[in-house]
Amino acid sequence: MMLVVSCTVFLIGLMGVIFRKNLLIVLMSVELMLNAVNLSFVTFSKMHNSLDGQIAVLFVMTVAAAESAVGLGLVIALFRTLKTADSDQIQMLRD
Amino acid sequence: MNLFLILLFPLIGFTINGFIHLKSAKSGAKASAKQTGVIATLAMFASFFVSAFYYLQFSGMAESSRLIEQSLFTWMNLGSFNVDFALRLDSLSLLFTLVITGVGSLIHLYSIGYMSEDESPARYFAYLNLFCFMMLNLVLGATMPHVFLGWEGVGLASYLLIGYWHQDVEKVGAGQKAFVMNRIGDLGFLIAMFITYKYVGSLDLMVLQKATLNPAIAATIGFLIFFACTGKSAQIPLFTWLPDAMAGPTPVSALIHAATMVTSGIYLLNRISPLLLQSPEVMSVIAMVGVTTAFVSAIIGCAQKDIKKILAYSTVSQLGFMFLACGVGAFDAGVFHVMTHAFFKALMFLGAGSVIHALHHEQNVFKMGGLRKKLPITTFTFVMGWAAILGLPPFSGFFSKDEIIIQSLHSPHGNQILFIMALASALLTAFYMTRLLVLVFFSPSRMEKETEEHVHESPLTMTIPLIVLAILSLVGGFMHHSEGGHQDSINIIIASVVVALVGAAFGFFRYRKFDKEEITNAFVEQGLGFDVFYNKFFGNGVPALAKGVSKWVEELFVQNTIRFCSWMVQFSGNVLKSFQVGSMQAYLLMMVVLGLVLLIWVLQSMMQGVFFYGK
Repeated sequence: MMLVVSCTVFLIGLMGVIFRKNLLIVLMSVELMLNAVNLSFVTFSKMHNSLDGQIAVLFVMTVAAAESAVGLGLVIALFRTLKTADSDQIQMLRD
Repeated sequence: MNLFLILLFPLIGFTINGFIHLKSAKSGAKASAKQTGVIATLAMFASFFVSAFYYLQFSGMAESSRLIEQSLFTWMNLGSFNVDFALRLDSLSLLFTLVITGVGSLIHLYSIGYMSEDESPARYFAYLNLFCFMMLNLVLGATMPHVFLGWEGVGLASYLLIGYWHQDVEKVGAGQKAFVMNRIGDLGFLIAMFITYKYVGSLDLMVLQKATLNPAIAATIGFLIFFACTGKSAQIPLFTWLPDAMAGPTPVSALIHAATMVTSGIYLLNRISPLLLQSPEVMSVIAMVGVTTAFVSAIIGCAQKDIKKILAYSTVSQLGFMFLACGVGAFDAGVFHVMTHAFFKALMFLGAGSVIHALHHEQNVFKMGGLRKKLPITTFTFVMGWAAILGLPPFSGFFSKDEIIIQSLHSPHGNQILFIMALASALLTAFYMTRLLVLVFFSPSRMEKETEEHVHESPLTMTIPLIVLAILSLVGGFMHHSEGGHQDSINIIIASVVVALVGAAFGFFRYRKFDKEEITNAFVEQGLGFDVFYNKFFGNGVPALAKGVSKWVEELFVQNTIRFCSWMVQFSGNVLKSFQVGSMQAYLLMMVVLGLVLLIWVLQSMMQGVFFYGK
């Protein structure tokens, strides 16, 4: 049951990352995906009676904190230079 | 005594004269013909004496043990492929060596007189020595590459000497023609060598002689070697270079284009004779080509006006006789004819040279005549040569030519057609030779007054070789022991002598009182259209073929293939470009989709695996 929830949350996060236009929301969706994975880690940990999964969750949370800090920094830097946070407007990779 | 000495002396002569030429070319001073000629002639005589020493040594040995081998050094060593630079002397190569060095010495001696007024005698004698060195390599080499070295070397020397007067574009052209025609034949030699190495495993000629081969392979090697010989020995289809080769100095024609180089084909056929005897088809091809060449070139010879061209076609014709002999299996008779022909044809060429020298380079026989009183020695010796080539007894040609004619009928490979064509060629030979003799020496003079006054007999250096060769033409026939005659051999001999006399009589009475220029058939005079055909077919045909290839194959096939390749690259680039939209989220979508596909694929294969193992 918890795995189904975890999967759903993961997919919602994935859809958010792919289809939302605002970079802040994309960033939040990434966090959502990470947390979905955390949920499944905990679930499996409980199922197999092993603490490994819970330790992995602690690591993921640390990394996620760092990642969101970096991500937010990048978004701010992008907003400053391009005056927008809309992903459709940011298509410089092609050129 | 060392076999290498035979080769060494001409090589030394070549080196010394070569340096003298380089020095005189630098300083501008003309080298003396006497000095350089004496060096070259001495080198040849020294070489001749070494060969004569071996002749004496051989005559004291039993026939089966007459073989001397000497390996000088390892020439090529490439893993399992190993060729020594080795010399081998047996009866066959000794005979050729004696002819080359003996007749060669006489012709060198003659050249001193003939080339006395030349601009660069050192160059001439250097080339002549180089030729002899290479020719000796050809006959003494123990392996096929060694023979090929000599084969190519004599071709080079021949090219250099035909185009010796290189200011004259026509003569240079004749040299090139000879070289190119020979190259066509050489291709056969090369391929034969490759096949020999593949199937015999050795390039040693003696191993090849003793090898037992698949008949098809033996025939292929034999045929390819024969093809090479048609180039070097001027047989149909590659004979047209020899008449043009007369552009060279006359002693060169005598040495290279009559006595020695052109007979190297006969030498090679003799070397591989055990192989040829295994393939009767190749033998009959050789016999047919030989007798056809003898006949066709005798016809052409009847219509020539240039004294040297007549002799050139006569040489081609006589070489045809030798090939006929090889083709009917009478290899000994062929080699015997090589020797006697070397004597009398060299004699006739030198005689012609003497006439040309006396008349200040007039070569048209219709502008000569009545020279018998002014050139008594030349006339006398020329008559000896004439009698020898006609085959009148007891001159040398009588023995060798009649033996060939007998063998063309009586050998197991002979037949009536060969016999009749050989007799017909002998008839024509008698006719055109008498025509030449009568027109030059006996008929009323048709010379211009001014030339006539300056006619003089040649110097001693030129007449001595004539006399020696005349004696050899007379007695040369007795050097060979014919092995018992067939029952009606005597009839054939009588027939062939009668035929020769008929031809001679016809020639004599027709030209005895000739006082104008004969009108000959231009088609026959220009060689029955062989040259025209080669020019049309290869001269124009090959460029046309190249044009066709460039138009059709190159434009349609090659260019379009390349165009298609470049279009493919462009197209795939365009297709792949459409994926590069630049939006990060689009890339992400692609990644996810691909990841899903991969996941499904992996899962599916795992399921199948489980399913499979489950069974």
